[in-house]
Amino acid sequence: MKPDIPAVLAELAGLVARNAAPGLDPAERAGALSLSAALLGMAAEAWDGAAQRLVEENRALRALLADAGDRTGPDAGLAGAKDEDLKISVLSATNARLRAGLIALHAVVEGEDSPEARALESRIWQELRLSTERRRMSSALA
Amino acid sequence: MGSADLAPRLAAYAARRMPTASDVEVRDLSRISGGASRQTYRFRLTWSEDGAPRERRMILRRDPPVSLIDTERRVEFEAYRAFFGSKVPVPEMIWLEEGTEALDLPFSVAAEITGYEAAPALLWTEPYLAAHETLARNKWTILGEIARADPFALGLDQVMPPPEPEGCWVRELGMWETVLDADEAEPLPIARAAIRWLRANPPPPAQKIGVVHGDFRTGNFLYDRQGDIHGVLDWEMAHLGDPLEDLGWSLNPVWNFKRDLAGGLVPDGVAIAYWEAASGLRADPAAVHWWTLFNCVKGQAIWISSARAWIDGGNREPIMVLPAWGLQNPQDRAILKVMDHL
Repeated sequence: MKPDIPAVLAELAGLVARNAAPGLDPAERAGALSLSAALLGMAAEAWDGAAQRLVEENRALRALLADAGDRTGPDAGLAGAKDEDLKISVLSATNARLRAGLIALHAVVEGEDSPEARALESRIWQELRLSTERRRMSSALA
Repeated sequence: MGSADLAPRLAAYAARRMPTASDVEVRDLSRISGGASRQTYRFRLTWSEDGAPRERRMILRRDPPVSLIDTERRVEFEAYRAFFGSKVPVPEMIWLEEGTEALDLPFSVAAEITGYEAAPALLWTEPYLAAHETLARNKWTILGEIARADPFALGLDQVMPPPEPEGCWVRELGMWETVLDADEAEPLPIARAAIRWLRANPPPPAQKIGVVHGDFRTGNFLYDRQGDIHGVLDWEMAHLGDPLEDLGWSLNPVWNFKRDLAGGLVPDGVAIAYWEAASGLRADPAAVHWWTLFNCVKGQAIWISSARAWIDGGNREPIMVLPAWGLQNPQDRAILKVMDHL
């Protein structure tokens, strides 16, 4: 989730403190606090599963890139690594590199005319669908 | 500037714009929450004229330093003005101020349309549930009327550059892809796949160059319990282009509000039939599909740019985070649905 959850929580802390002051326009206070509440709910929902989601997705993306062989080009090195540091910021940065590699691989595969390419493309779409399942939140707006 | 400082400065501005008025005052100024691209306030303007007291309810919309949608306020103002008094109900525009002397930021003032609702959430409750068919007919009929309008006769080509019919999609896709390139905070494999498909499978040329509202969806109009619509709002992204673009935005699945119906109201086919009847145009299924997918990409670009504005510190309002967190994944799922990969 971007912006990152810790940065948003820090900003919300300041916003709530400012809204505790007397004399604010009640409508402005109500608007700020109701939006803050919605964001806090989303952060709470995302928090527990964040590391699990990233580790699972990074593993799946590495497997796809590894199976793509020469098609991954300069991104081939991404496939062999492991997630040793489980801080969410580190996992997210790795996830971004892997997803950039997936974009490049997807474009290469689309340009190929072979049964292997179609099979790989099908796996990429399957992984993209799963990526949205991992990110689903009951508090999403749509 | 807080509301307390804003009211007297706004009153002074109004007094300058109303030379025959005296005792001009701004009363009950309060901010309306939710606007991500403009700071919106409602107020009562009171004054004396010809020896009689006068009053009018108005809306002030002020540009924040960095907004969710960066748009030209004159384009929006002229779009409202063009449709005022037509079959497309819009509030009356009163003043446009593009300078920063009066209220530190550019702003516009419009008449307030009172007594109606805009929030989509109310539509899924009684007594509004019973009015969905009527509301849907009115919604897509009005959108068809916007498509039917002649932007050149309305003079809108003076403020909105008209593209060639075969160039509408190139301009719009290029513009929103540029936004994604500039603002994405992390790679977007689903949106990028959609863009590649859109470029490889272009739509037919526009049947006409029409007015495109740019954000016509459930939530951006004022409605009543009977399903009548009294004001179409949020013309910030208005431009000239293929009228099917607006139809595609209205069919973007993120505006279904988890109900699997266009706008949360009726099946897509019903909405399209209302639009065709009112616009006099044909909604070619392949073209509608292209413009619906395009609008999924456009939506993603908007949600991404709101995150970017927050991350860069230009606008730290919580409303900038809400679409980034609450709509980015649903928008990705909408892309998958439209591309038949869900």
